[in-house]
Amino acid sequence: MPLNLIGKFALRMGAVAAVALLVGCATPPPADDPEAKADFDQLNDPLEPTNRAIFSFNEGVDKILLKPVAQGYRYVVPPFGRDRVNDFLDNLKSPLYLGNDLLQGNVGNAGITLSRFALNTTFGVLGIMDVADPMGLPGHQSDFGQTLGVWGVGEGPYLVLPLFGPSNPRDTTGIAVEWFADPVDIYLEDQHMKWLSWTRTGVSAVALREQYLDVLDDVKRTSLDYYSAMRSLYRQRREAQINNGKDPSKYAPPPKSVMDHKPAPQKAASFE
Amino acid sequence: MFRRTLIKAAFALGFAATLLPFGGARADGPDAGAFIEKLADTAINTVADKQLAETERDERFRTLFVSSFDLPTIGKFVLARYWKTATPEQQQEFLKLFEDQVVLTWAKRFKDYSGEKLKVLGNNKEDDHTWVVDSQITREKGPPIPVQWRLHDSADGNFRITDIIVEGVSMAITQRQDFASTMQGIGGKMDSLLSAMRTKVDQLKAAG
Repeated sequence: MPLNLIGKFALRMGAVAAVALLVGCATPPPADDPEAKADFDQLNDPLEPTNRAIFSFNEGVDKILLKPVAQGYRYVVPPFGRDRVNDFLDNLKSPLYLGNDLLQGNVGNAGITLSRFALNTTFGVLGIMDVADPMGLPGHQSDFGQTLGVWGVGEGPYLVLPLFGPSNPRDTTGIAVEWFADPVDIYLEDQHMKWLSWTRTGVSAVALREQYLDVLDDVKRTSLDYYSAMRSLYRQRREAQINNGKDPSKYAPPPKSVMDHKPAPQKAASFE
Repeated sequence: MFRRTLIKAAFALGFAATLLPFGGARADGPDAGAFIEKLADTAINTVADKQLAETERDERFRTLFVSSFDLPTIGKFVLARYWKTATPEQQQEFLKLFEDQVVLTWAKRFKDYSGEKLKVLGNNKEDDHTWVVDSQITREKGPPIPVQWRLHDSADGNFRITDIIVEGVSMAITQRQDFASTMQGIGGKMDSLLSAMRTKVDQLKAAG
């Protein structure tokens, strides 16, 4: 994940949160209310009170710092410039993508990642231009949390991490592993240019937030409970990414729904 | 320039193709994919029609939306176990507010429309009455966004949408969990939920 800069800080915050977790557990519904119990299990959020507290903390940081900076960045830098920044940052993650593609046993994706890295780093001038995409090699992202999921590791209970946001034990492990294993960071540290890693993380955070400005505003505007909508979106999205990691060649079947699919009695659409 | 022409040609072809299944009965049954193509086309034409007054456009969008989606079925699914315990009046008001909320949400999303294209890729039958249409939205820049549509047939053999799944995220399930959480927070009181929905609908209307 791209937020390495705040990673150190976040780990410390995480330690604090871990203590809080022991305290802030949601009260499970009484056993004699099976429907409430089913809801509770479905939402997979036994630490909800703590998660909500961290979520509000993150919201506060976002409101006073990250979002205004991202908005300023969007205002100042034209789309073309932002595309260059995004392409460059994405190219820097190629070694991680490649490693995860291989760990997922996905040789096809690994080949694409490798070709993209070669093309974009050379013809794309150190990655600032994604020249591979128009050549029919579109990019994809893969991360270690997803790899664990492909291997069959379950998500565990939903977690909200300080600054990183929605997660779970599996994906938190993924973030930690990538933080230590990123070849680009290891190289920079070796060259005594650790500050570049930090700069990269800061820029990544702002660039990522800029990409999500409209989507998150939309979710906030349209949901009754923003926290719950984010939880639902995160869990479904990760599930889809893992299914996609297993078999990217086809559309995974959509989540099963228990919706009543009897023929609708109403008058049908006519488009008139 | 050439690319633009190509896109136009492809779009025209796609449009023509959508007309075929509606021309008459087909041996292999109704085509859910064509239904989605035609719906996307009509929706885009409606929101892009600058000749129309704002209120007229909103009205047409709502009519199209309400006639293409099975909102009562989605609403019941979203309210889940609280549907059964609600009074008929509460159910009535819930469905009305739910319609407002969903229509206003999507009307706003369509107002931000900037030339994306919907391409139908295929269509799978889930069971006797349910289909899933695979499609993708292509943009000027960036990878296409996978979108799946779940539909069922109505009594007269036509279709109604019951869910949209964007990049693996089901809108119906997201809303169901949003409502379940909200209900948890307010002790399962239907009247409190309706009042929260009224507030939300007012906010959406104000945001236009």
